[in-house]
Amino acid sequence: MPQTLPDFSNSVKLKYVKLGYQYLVNHILYLLLVPIMVAILIEVLRLGPDEILNLWKSLHFDLVQILCSSFLIIFIATVYFMSKPRHVYLVDYACYKPPVTCRVPFATFMEHSRLILKNNPKSVEFQMRILERSGLGEETCLPPAIHYIPPTPTMEAARGEAELVIFSAMDSLLQKTGLKPKDIDILIVNCSLFSPTPSLSAMVINKYKLRSNIKSFNLSGMGCSAGLISIDLARDLLQVHPNSNAVVVSTEIITPNYYQGNERAMLLPNCLFRMGGAAILLSNRRRNRSRAKYRLVHVVRTHKGADDKAYRCVFEEEDKEGKVGISLSKDLMAIAGEALKSNITTIGPLVLPASEQLLFLMTLIGRKIFNPKWKPYIPDFKQAFEHFCIHAGGRAVIDELQKNLQLSAEHVEASRMTLHRFGNTSSSSLWYEMSYIEEKGRMKKGDRVWQIAFGSGFKCNSAVWKCNKTIKTTTDNPWSDCIDRYPVHIPEIVKL
Amino acid sequence: MTSEMITYICKRTVVSTKPAQAGKCNPLSVFDRLMEKNHIRIVYYFPSTRNGEPGVVTKKLRESLSHVLTCFPIVTGRLQKKDDGHWMIKCNDAGVRMVEARTQGSVEEWLKNVNRDKELMLVTWEDMFHKPYFWATFYVQLTEFEEGGLAIGFSCSHLLADPTSATMFVKAWADTTLAGTMLAPPFFHPLPPPRLGNKNPNHNPYTDLINHYKSTIDDRSPAFTNNITNYVTATLAFSGPMVQACMLDTSRPSPFEAMAGLLWVCVSKVKGMKQGLISMSICLDMRKQLGLDKGFFGNCLVYNKVHHAESLLDKSELSEAARAVGESVTKMNNERIMDLIEWLEHHDYEFPPLMNGHDLICANLEDLDPYATLFEEGFVPIRVSYYVEPVFGIGQILVLQSPPSEGPLSRMVMVTLPADELSKLCDDDLILRFNPTILMG
Repeated sequence: MPQTLPDFSNSVKLKYVKLGYQYLVNHILYLLLVPIMVAILIEVLRLGPDEILNLWKSLHFDLVQILCSSFLIIFIATVYFMSKPRHVYLVDYACYKPPVTCRVPFATFMEHSRLILKNNPKSVEFQMRILERSGLGEETCLPPAIHYIPPTPTMEAARGEAELVIFSAMDSLLQKTGLKPKDIDILIVNCSLFSPTPSLSAMVINKYKLRSNIKSFNLSGMGCSAGLISIDLARDLLQVHPNSNAVVVSTEIITPNYYQGNERAMLLPNCLFRMGGAAILLSNRRRNRSRAKYRLVHVVRTHKGADDKAYRCVFEEEDKEGKVGISLSKDLMAIAGEALKSNITTIGPLVLPASEQLLFLMTLIGRKIFNPKWKPYIPDFKQAFEHFCIHAGGRAVIDELQKNLQLSAEHVEASRMTLHRFGNTSSSSLWYEMSYIEEKGRMKKGDRVWQIAFGSGFKCNSAVWKCNKTIKTTTDNPWSDCIDRYPVHIPEIVKL
Repeated sequence: MTSEMITYICKRTVVSTKPAQAGKCNPLSVFDRLMEKNHIRIVYYFPSTRNGEPGVVTKKLRESLSHVLTCFPIVTGRLQKKDDGHWMIKCNDAGVRMVEARTQGSVEEWLKNVNRDKELMLVTWEDMFHKPYFWATFYVQLTEFEEGGLAIGFSCSHLLADPTSATMFVKAWADTTLAGTMLAPPFFHPLPPPRLGNKNPNHNPYTDLINHYKSTIDDRSPAFTNNITNYVTATLAFSGPMVQACMLDTSRPSPFEAMAGLLWVCVSKVKGMKQGLISMSICLDMRKQLGLDKGFFGNCLVYNKVHHAESLLDKSELSEAARAVGESVTKMNNERIMDLIEWLEHHDYEFPPLMNGHDLICANLEDLDPYATLFEEGFVPIRVSYYVEPVFGIGQILVLQSPPSEGPLSRMVMVTLPADELSKLCDDDLILRFNPTILMG
């Protein structure tokens, strides 16, 4: 009994020590600058005005010198301001809400599975076990073509789903932002597994009658992290083109990729991937500065494709019967962890406060020089960010990241609840998570958000946003009818 | 013939719009459990609507079906056996199966040359799977006629619903499509419990009804498994004045009793009975007698054998038959039904019986009111046909309501008999005296 009290008081002391250290290191500049300024002020006051005037006259400035120095100052200032990257603002975004009639409860999914895979009860059992532990809820949606017995994944159905999802998201975005289709200068559409000709971006241009000199891009095959790759591309384009609007559409079309074989590693995506999409408006126009929701601060992309194991861990291939599916390897989590470490190493110095970086540096030096057995210091990212949006790739991904980054349950709540309500919607899941945080009223001005996405390749991409204004809750978003029921407790295993 | 074949477009599952409450289970009542071997099929024929586009009506109906299923968790649930070996419904939200189909021609043309086999093609049904937990108990088929009209085929296992409940479900669906709300919400609760307390110690349970059930349950005769007989169904429409004439002839106050008596006599004749009548049971809805709301969802049909005295020379066979039917009807009152329920609660059986397998079954489905099912304003069903399958033994007679344009007393009778006997029936003098219009068969 008496042993716990000293521990408690120790930990409190430790907390204050930590706080003191953080304040010291993070504000070192101010702490050094203030005494110097005070000293100068005292010196100036001591000298008195006459002395200062004499000092000034003794410097012997003539006109040429003054002009040159002022031109130099103006020149340096101009170069500095011109080379500063343009700020990219996220004006607003819209997520697609699937119709309630596309809902797939667990029981329906399992029954269909049984009817389609009637010769493979083991595969059905496997799917059932995955579904029980998946963290999905009873309201996730699949596109209409997958509801048929047997499913009819034709190209026409895939185009139908693409039109439904993308046009709904675009309509919603145009309505929310008041953007006119003629004002879109850059269009980027990313959809990994469905890539028809003409492309999905051409489909959008056709539907909304966009300008003929639009810069359109269609990214396919880049996996679940393609959303952030599109954002990165948009940012680069907005550096080159002043005064422009860029629309990014992130989605994943499920229809053509429903695996109809019975290879276990390939059945997993069937259980997790669901219908969803998002449309985002980015802009570098000054007039959008005041009404924009977020400002893009950093985008960090890490690619582990050079490693063979990482390259093959999410692989689309044919199974023994010639049916195409995406096979997930068993070391997916390990590779994801490696990719995350890589990404953190790059993003850490950009976002972490000086105190954390110093600690990390000290531990690193210590490990290299003194004792390799020292535990590596995991920087506390909770000090750099208020909100975390972890790609809802699956329960395991969220658990792994929560453990690695030492996040609390509230930090990962947005990810878990998005997985429960919408399933794994691939590249658009980050936007559903942002929407959740906003609808819960937690997004305040100045908050920093970290979006992390993993994707095939193996890639780990991050984006850092800073909230521009406190965001009020609205009614035209996918969470509007169910936000009050969340957060829900998601059991380890749901008994089917 | 090929022009009347149906093209199946797709089969899918329709689920409710809101998830069902997890873990909810509904046990089946004693009346429900008796009907395991049977299923119901209903076909509604609707005239052409304004919306000429194919597929539009189907989509609208599918969406409204989703909405209405939210209030019927039993319909979307699945069968499972409880610990005591009895059936229950686990409300797991699995949904109903829906088949969409298209056929050429118009509804009116179809109705001119329809017969039992063709009509049953408009309703999809799958017999119980080996693992009933994955077997859908309700099926809906929407068949659009290319030149106008729609046929809605609805089938369900008799374990969960009787024709009254099935009709009520489709009406709720229609109300939801039309106005967005149901006019008569369903009630899911068990049958009334046995009265405790004021039980007369000298009370003798009504043995006739119980004996009838006992003999049906205990009968394991191989006639059940014999399905070679080719049954055909005919729909005979009796106009109001004719039904009234029949009622006067038999001096019975109820159209059902008159019709039942008439059919009983005629069927006995075509079966070759020179003297007396074949054995017949009537099947009635006992909701009123048990004090249950009309919205009670589940089985509430009770079968009772009709006993007839030998025909006396001075009374006509017809009026005697009708009198016997009337007597059977009056004998089915609250007390006797409660006795039956109590007996059934305590009497377990190993194999579920075939309730309509022995005698000629004559079911009273007059009060179902299917013509009030309007999916669109002003579009009343042209015809509604009922089938209680499978038909075994002697045959089946269903006395139904006629479309409202025919008048309140007119009746439609669907008779299912072996093919040769049915043709003889339609030529029978006694039947022809009442001038029925043969709508089908």
